Amino acid sequence: MRTASPSTPRPSRTLALLAVAAGLVLTTSGCGGSAAASEDDTFVFATGKDISCLDPHVNGDMPQASIAANYLDSLVSQDSEGAIHPWLATDWSVSEDGLTYTFTVRDDVWFTDGTKLTAEAVKANLDHMVDPDTQSGTAGGYLKPYVGTEVVDETTAVVTLNRPYAAFLEVLAQPFLGIESPEALKRPQAENCNAPVGTGPYKIVDYVPQSRVSLVRNEDYNSAPPYAQHEGPAHIEKIEWRIVPEDSTRYGLLRAGQVDALDLMPSVHFDEAEADPNVELILQDRPGNPTNLILNTTRAPFDDVDVRKAFLRSAYVDAGINSVYFGTVTRAGGPLSSTTGFYSPDFEHVYDPDPDEAARLLDAAGWTERDDEGYRVKDGERLTVHFPYTPGAWPTAHQALVTQIQATAKKAGFEVLIENGDGATVSELGNNFAYDLRADYWNTNTADVLRIVFSSEYTESAGFVPNGSGFRNPELDGILNDALATDDPAEREDLYYQAQQIVSDNALQLPLYNQASQVALRSDRYANLTLEPSLSLPYLYDVTAVDSE
Amino acid sequence: MSTSSLDSLSAAPRTTATAGTAGKVIAKRAAGSLFVLWAAVTLTFFVLRLTPGDPITAILGGAGSSPSPETVAAVRAEYGLDQPVLVQYLSYLGNLLIGDFGVSYIFKVPVLEIIGPQILPTLQLAGLALVFAWVIALAFTLLTVGRGRVLDGGGRAVEVFFASLPQFWVGIMLAVVFAVTLGWFPVAGNDGFRSLVLPALSLAVPLAGFIAQVTRSSFEDALAQPFVLSARARGLSDTAVRVTHALRHAILPGLTLSAWAVGSLVSSAVVAEIIFARPGLGRSLVDAIVNRDLPITLAVVFIIAAVYILVNLVVDVLYRVVDPRTNPKGSAA
Repeated sequence: MRTASPSTPRPSRTLALLAVAAGLVLTTSGCGGSAAASEDDTFVFATGKDISCLDPHVNGDMPQASIAANYLDSLVSQDSEGAIHPWLATDWSVSEDGLTYTFTVRDDVWFTDGTKLTAEAVKANLDHMVDPDTQSGTAGGYLKPYVGTEVVDETTAVVTLNRPYAAFLEVLAQPFLGIESPEALKRPQAENCNAPVGTGPYKIVDYVPQSRVSLVRNEDYNSAPPYAQHEGPAHIEKIEWRIVPEDSTRYGLLRAGQVDALDLMPSVHFDEAEADPNVELILQDRPGNPTNLILNTTRAPFDDVDVRKAFLRSAYVDAGINSVYFGTVTRAGGPLSSTTGFYSPDFEHVYDPDPDEAARLLDAAGWTERDDEGYRVKDGERLTVHFPYTPGAWPTAHQALVTQIQATAKKAGFEVLIENGDGATVSELGNNFAYDLRADYWNTNTADVLRIVFSSEYTESAGFVPNGSGFRNPELDGILNDALATDDPAEREDLYYQAQQIVSDNALQLPLYNQASQVALRSDRYANLTLEPSLSLPYLYDVTAVDSE
Repeated sequence: MSTSSLDSLSAAPRTTATAGTAGKVIAKRAAGSLFVLWAAVTLTFFVLRLTPGDPITAILGGAGSSPSPETVAAVRAEYGLDQPVLVQYLSYLGNLLIGDFGVSYIFKVPVLEIIGPQILPTLQLAGLALVFAWVIALAFTLLTVGRGRVLDGGGRAVEVFFASLPQFWVGIMLAVVFAVTLGWFPVAGNDGFRSLVLPALSLAVPLAGFIAQVTRSSFEDALAQPFVLSARARGLSDTAVRVTHALRHAILPGLTLSAWAVGSLVSSAVVAEIIFARPGLGRSLVDAIVNRDLPITLAVVFIIAAVYILVNLVVDVLYRVVDPRTNPKGSAA
């Protein structure tokens, strides 16, 4: 799933920069606030992005999954190596043709509204995700092969797909596909958006949009996933999930001791936080397709692979990242982030910057002249690259980074026009291939992301077109479909290696940096805040209070 | 800003009940108010609907979801996006007449459920900001006007400086100094009066600069009036003259400015709301525009227009109280 960015719309970019400058003033030493955890045992978590509907089946943006990871359990779980383990489903079997999955669910788990978990819940949830009325962009999008579920008995559900889909279990492990109470799902959508019901360690008691979500411990919790550090109810009684969009404010709250943890840790405060003995940074790159600029291969100039390679060779991404992110993100060079299953490091440095090679490639492609501004010209046409962009949807640092890429591309003779527009305008251009560059990323916990971002199947969509390169390659399509038709890890590894090779050879993307979860915790008060493995989302179930002297 | 004394003192309200009955005036006013509301909503509707771009992606989970064609079709039908724009507009207007603001595209719940609880926090914020702005502005002008070149010049300079400060920067600075470093106020949130002080101040400081500038020039005019001279001649102290005689005249232009200020405070509240993580209409408006959440955008515009209308009404009444010459039943002008 590609999230919109953590940054909120701001009155202007200048003001955003002012905020960063002002944030730098926050450099007195140490944190304020009392060291003891708050009296009433409430853990306050400040999140940087608004949540829409709390039910992660609906829409499907990252903040929804983030809170869902704390009140929903999933059918299966994933470990940090990418392997799949039981969770609400104790076991499952896959038919020979890969089209039928038979799940056995636990018979000792109850939803927090008193409904018992049965095989019926598998059917109700999957049906809910694919129901057009649910308006599910993410969970529903991952379930395109879904045909239906047959409830055999109280604990057995048989799911039928219309094609082999080895990534099925992997996506099921994501909080986006968490299991909700079938009874609660029967309520009107508005009601379920405000108070969805799961079997998880916490339950939602109140939601004030733009302000806070209050959660309270599920005292009967007995279905912890294998990656958890303990079993039974959570250690902390209450959670207040506060929505604080402004970076400096969120960090200020942590320093002043008014919140216990935050996400979207502002890069400008990293050094300070690292030096602070009362703050622990919990950082983890996310699996999926890294933050990138994707090149539209369906029209000139990027319909020519040499021009694409020249563009990649012209971009000094490392230097840009170091100067605007202060080293707080890790560089990505290939089509998969390093935390994705079946990732290969072989493609990290294929297109390291090389101005001479870029010039040679452009000459070979016939862009031999330069005009008086230094841009390459062919048949009287300037080498122009249109880049529709929504500044409000990206962090300030990302905006600075694309500007730097524009500058280094100019040296090679590319005229990159960054054309600012609002989200709807830019996405419409994006869905009609009316651009040369598009800013993208896709967070998901499976190498099958390659199929979503690069296969022919995803060059068309009624909503968002994930394959922004417009690349249609039967060989790649075949490999990616074969990888879904086998569950032999060695075979999948080989197929996904070939797929990464083809994507890299064709220079379809300029990868920039890995998407990351960046969480800060007041370690003088609490410990054991972890990130769940499927999407690296903050997981509060194991958090314990630190005894204060 | 130097207006002649006559100008500033004859800044009469927009309606005077010199002819006709009160009923006529009220009817006129009501019709005018309805027209303003209709125009605001209509203009916003067409601007948003005719802007290129498709709200569907925003509705379905941001720019990264990949919904099925059935889902997209369902959404289009659900929100009437498959209808001609004119039909959408008429059905929106029809629903508005029965008090139905529709359902948020993003939150999937009735619009009033989302923004209903946000009206009060924003009005509290705007109201307190206005009070702070007036207190700062009056303290300033009373203390510095006509007190000699140094104080006068210094006062002017500070006013210009205040008026030109960006609210965003003031907010961050206040938060850093008074909340994070000194810990006198909460850094963010919406629990009680203490959490309201810093956000209100961040909006009030630039506004105080504006109000003080306007008030200063009318104050200077007022101090030059004959009645001030006669008051002094009767042996009134300088402070008494300033507060009881000149002030009345001096605040009239500021009142007019306040009507505009309240409306703009409601919409510019977004800055304070984002910095101090407060729920509110300003934030709703910005988020709704970015997400193409038409029903929320229209509802917030409607509320801001209504606030404008109400505040103008209040200012007219205050005018009659402060300046009896505009009141036909008051002392003859």
